[in-house]
Amino acid sequence: MDRKLGWGLAVLAWVVPLHSAEVSAARAVEILRANCWQCHSRTMNMSGLDLTTRDAALRGGSRGPALAPGKASDSRILEAVERKTKLAMPPAKPLEAADIESLRRWINDGAPWSETSSASAPRSTWWAFQKVTRPTAPKIADRWVHNDVDAFILQRLQAENLSPSAPAPAATLVRRAYLDLWGLPPSMEQVREFVADNRPDAWPRLIDKLLASPHYGEKWGRHWLDLVRYSDTAGFELDTYIHDAWRYRDWVIQSLNDDKPYNLFVQEQIAADELFPEDPVARTGTGLYCVGPNRDLFPDQADINREEVLTDYADTTSSVFLGLTAGCARCHDHKFDPISQEDYYRIRALFAPATKVKVALNRLESLGFDVADGVREWKLREIGEQIRRAQSRCQDSLRTAKLSRLPAEAQEALRLPDSERTPRQRELASEYEKNARVTDQEIRACLSPQESADLHGVEKALVQMYANYRSKPFSCGLADSWNVAPRTFLPAKGSRPEREVQPGFFSILGGGDVPPPAEKREATGPIPLMPTTGRRTALAKWITDPGNPLTARVMVNRIWQYHFARGLLATPSDFGTRSGKPSHPELLDWLASEFVANNWSIKHLHRLIMTSMTYRMGSTPSPESARRDPLNLLLSHYSRRRLSAEEIRDSVLVATGGLNPKQGGRPVVPPLSAEEKATLTQSPDNSWVLTTDASEYSRRSIYLIQKRTFRMPMMDVFDAPESMLSCARRDSSTTAPQSLSLFNGSFTMERAAALSSALTADHPADDDSLIRAAWRKVLARDPGNAELSRARKFLQEQTQNTGARRQAVIEMIRALLNLNEFLYVD
Amino acid sequence: MSTRSRRQFLARAGKGLGAVAASTLLPPALGAESPLAPRKSHEPARAKAIIYLYMHGGVSHVDAWDPKPELSRLSGKTLPASFVKGLKTSRIDFTKALARGSAWPFQKHGESGLEISALFPHIARHADQLALVRSCHGDAFDHAPAMYLHGSGSQFPGRPCLGAWTVYGLGSENQNLPAFVVMTDGAMKCGPQGYGAGFLPAVYQGTMFRSGKSPVLDLSNPDGVSNRTQRATLDLVSELDRQHLGERPFDTDLEARLAAYELAFRMQSEAPEAVDISKESDATKRLYGIGEGPSDDFGRKCLLARRLVERGVRFVQLYSGTHLGDDWDGAHNDLTGSHNKMAAKTDKAISGLLTDLQSRGLADSTLVVWGSEFGRTPLAEGRNGRDHHPYAFSMWFWGAGVRGGRVLGSTDEFGLRPVENPVVAHDVNATILRMMGLDHLKLTYYFQGRDMRLTDVHGEGEFTKFLVQG
Repeated sequence: MDRKLGWGLAVLAWVVPLHSAEVSAARAVEILRANCWQCHSRTMNMSGLDLTTRDAALRGGSRGPALAPGKASDSRILEAVERKTKLAMPPAKPLEAADIESLRRWINDGAPWSETSSASAPRSTWWAFQKVTRPTAPKIADRWVHNDVDAFILQRLQAENLSPSAPAPAATLVRRAYLDLWGLPPSMEQVREFVADNRPDAWPRLIDKLLASPHYGEKWGRHWLDLVRYSDTAGFELDTYIHDAWRYRDWVIQSLNDDKPYNLFVQEQIAADELFPEDPVARTGTGLYCVGPNRDLFPDQADINREEVLTDYADTTSSVFLGLTAGCARCHDHKFDPISQEDYYRIRALFAPATKVKVALNRLESLGFDVADGVREWKLREIGEQIRRAQSRCQDSLRTAKLSRLPAEAQEALRLPDSERTPRQRELASEYEKNARVTDQEIRACLSPQESADLHGVEKALVQMYANYRSKPFSCGLADSWNVAPRTFLPAKGSRPEREVQPGFFSILGGGDVPPPAEKREATGPIPLMPTTGRRTALAKWITDPGNPLTARVMVNRIWQYHFARGLLATPSDFGTRSGKPSHPELLDWLASEFVANNWSIKHLHRLIMTSMTYRMGSTPSPESARRDPLNLLLSHYSRRRLSAEEIRDSVLVATGGLNPKQGGRPVVPPLSAEEKATLTQSPDNSWVLTTDASEYSRRSIYLIQKRTFRMPMMDVFDAPESMLSCARRDSSTTAPQSLSLFNGSFTMERAAALSSALTADHPADDDSLIRAAWRKVLARDPGNAELSRARKFLQEQTQNTGARRQAVIEMIRALLNLNEFLYVD
Repeated sequence: MSTRSRRQFLARAGKGLGAVAASTLLPPALGAESPLAPRKSHEPARAKAIIYLYMHGGVSHVDAWDPKPELSRLSGKTLPASFVKGLKTSRIDFTKALARGSAWPFQKHGESGLEISALFPHIARHADQLALVRSCHGDAFDHAPAMYLHGSGSQFPGRPCLGAWTVYGLGSENQNLPAFVVMTDGAMKCGPQGYGAGFLPAVYQGTMFRSGKSPVLDLSNPDGVSNRTQRATLDLVSELDRQHLGERPFDTDLEARLAAYELAFRMQSEAPEAVDISKESDATKRLYGIGEGPSDDFGRKCLLARRLVERGVRFVQLYSGTHLGDDWDGAHNDLTGSHNKMAAKTDKAISGLLTDLQSRGLADSTLVVWGSEFGRTPLAEGRNGRDHHPYAFSMWFWGAGVRGGRVLGSTDEFGLRPVENPVVAHDVNATILRMMGLDHLKLTYYFQGRDMRLTDVHGEGEFTKFLVQG
């Protein structure tokens, strides 16, 4: 309920003469209707409580009767609204004192029910659950206003007596645009090109150019991967690989680069197997449900794991696409939002028949791969046997020789199988095992020519077998296991028995059931190629229905947030009743309707936002704005932001001339020091399998392996998400470990050394030209005079300290890579 | 940076900026604005610091803390069906596996007569100061989920752990050292999420201290870079940053980053000193079993823990055991061997830590917690093993005014399940926060639509009274 309405009701209560029983009953029912029925109606029935009729209120819910007519002090309703015990209702906003008083009198008067009120529950009045209606942009005669976005922004600023900051200089703007759309800084030449472009449409041209580049998807795909808790491994102790996760990652990047309409983007992720069963690329979108966490599968845990998987599916779907945190309703009716536990299980039921499947990317090639893989596996068994045979003589004799040098006691312990050892022998065995172990090298040295040749034959066979081995032509996706779904039950609770629920949607958003599948096939008939229930299709259609009040609002708010560091609504994955109100509600709705009207084009939104003056302002606030709106909620200036972890690493690569622009493909595993790998949950040999092609190490960060139990240290300190839960907004912290990592870490030093070599080769003697080149490379500008002379002095000093000019240059580059100018978007 | 501290920053930005920009070394007062600045507790605190000793892999409660003569009597037989109904683990069938008495004799210790087995003879000397809890239980029967559950209140990783919540609530007394330090024997099944910050800002996560001179990653100068070179380069960064800042008034983030570099530099000099135990006396080192074979390594960690707590570090979490080497989970195949070995590594070290904290007057302000993700089955796995047993296990508390020589809770005659005062992870975590002066109901962080807390939707039961008030 909004504040105005509450206040209006309070006034109403005050002017209504309270002596009339009939009037007081009407008033009380009105209070219940406005404040309680949203959750406590016949249909919503949270905590089993229905407050829409007197009988139902007397019957009460899981806490017993809600009303004790004639005795307000014994009535649960009053206890709840007075909020003196743990029971405090309504959850979001306490009732006005006058309303509480009205309820008390009414109950003491016997709680007569006013029949004048209709018993139907009102639809929620919460703004985010109302359909989007396109507001008209304010008409403001001001030259500053460049498009409708600006009109909304300026209207608020003027209302608050604040004025927008001056436009940012061209050199600042171009860097902002590159980093916002590509996640990479522009080169000096790219800056100059834009600054020199005097055409009136230079700015929109730049935006179009950036949007047309594949780098765009590499930057914006990262935002989406954060949201869908993307990872290349499953998490927990074993942290098993999700082999084909990267196909989904590449699908996201490609979809964004193609400007795939957002409604289609959503539909493919939720139900491409049903909607586009013949299109393996679209079906890769359902990989959304493969890239999440998965508990280690121990024999007895399959059932627990399935529960958690379904929970993850329902939670991820509702928070990513609808901005609703439904998770609470898994165990009980939602405390704050009108989502009942039944609603939650209805959503979960949509996924009940779904299971992870291999999606063949190319039917023939995939079939061929499977056949070849089967052959390989068959052959490998024989190969294992051959290896053992070729090595067994040496293995046995070497071990015997080693054993003979050990104490007799240890020899005996090591000869026995583990199950027959005494505790003492076990200790001995574990202590001496390493002394008896035969190494690969020792075996090689001992092999006879024949054995050696046998082993060599095996090696040749292996090489032949794997010579053409490539990543499997499969992606991971979701599909229903049959056209009949397992039943979903609402768990028993208190006196309420377990009860079957049907798949459906959130009541608060209009609800609705899922139609049963069009045709039911009998098991005796021909087996359909992909039998399916159609449940997720219904979900996808419901979410992307232009009438769904949340889908477009949530997405435009996300896009806005990624441009301005803060959404119009500050809680991007929570549009529920605890989220507060947007700073510019009309603008949010205007953008949402603009989004849908333009075929859900994300690139259209970028153009709209970036061509506004709002986006083009400088980042320095007026003293007045700094004082009165320190968080820049009203957007009187551009909010300077720190680069993300990936942007920092990628920027260092660009600045030092080392970025490998290759797109897509298997995750890259770059080398790390032993110290850095110390926190891996499994042996680094298996869990950090280095990419062998070193040129891959300098690829964009989105292509680096993302493990759920282990973040690369640099990503970790700069706030990359953990990928266990959906991350809608990253922190942007400022800590000493960040400085240590970027200042002392080997990545910085290696990159600085690489650029130093190039610069000293190009400028063997002339410090000034070298300094200029360094500034241009790293900061994409020329140094000022003061900077030039300071750097000159620095090079001399450090050449003396380090004994080499090249080292001094490394130090200078290292400093530049650590500057705020480099680390922030201005 | 949180909204609140941003505001605090802004409030002083107007007058502070010029002064800050003009000085080479930022005033130490700037640290007061950091997310780790010391903060007032909700309630008067019993402890200022915590040392959490975590036995990775699962310690057998019936062989260490919870004597079960009845189990020994039925050794080699199956247990009555009524007792084992509903219990399951991955590896044994409770209806078929055989009971197995403890190989370690129990004895009464101290004036209190606390019964502790011969597995921990050194810790047993502190019996009169230990508050022993025999009725812990949970429902996660594999390592990682159990470690997440006890550490963060959820079997799924991704939530902040106790240490992260503690430093989020209280900040740290020493801005030149990490507020929450973790030391391990190597890889752990929970991974870094066992001591992670989850959805809290990353600054609150545990910082791994590594052995050697450079305890924190990237703490030392890059190879071949002298202090003089390092300082000169840092000065160049500061100068250019200050010039940049001068053109961008009102930006506290830029200012904070300048400070972060200076802090990093101070950390570079302070942290190595904190971990340098060479100046400790031989007597002290002997106390911890340093230089004495098996206890040397964990002894060093315990001594470091004391040194860190002395220097104002808020939370130190020490793990004993790694599944890529020796750990308590060796009990699957070899209960006696694994437990003897791990006890030899930790018993004297921990005992030394308690003695040392006591003699240095740190006992009153330091809470020491000993725990493990679960116990081990009172029934045998194979010939000489015990499986995971989350349904009952023990832990103990020491220091910070906790009255020792007491036992809370009990298990049935076989150590299968608690029968009195069952205690779950949430009780323990809420209680530890109380000891630190934090109210687990008030220590919240808004995430995904609600005010999240360590104990999720749970209360704290009677356990708090036992520990805090008793």
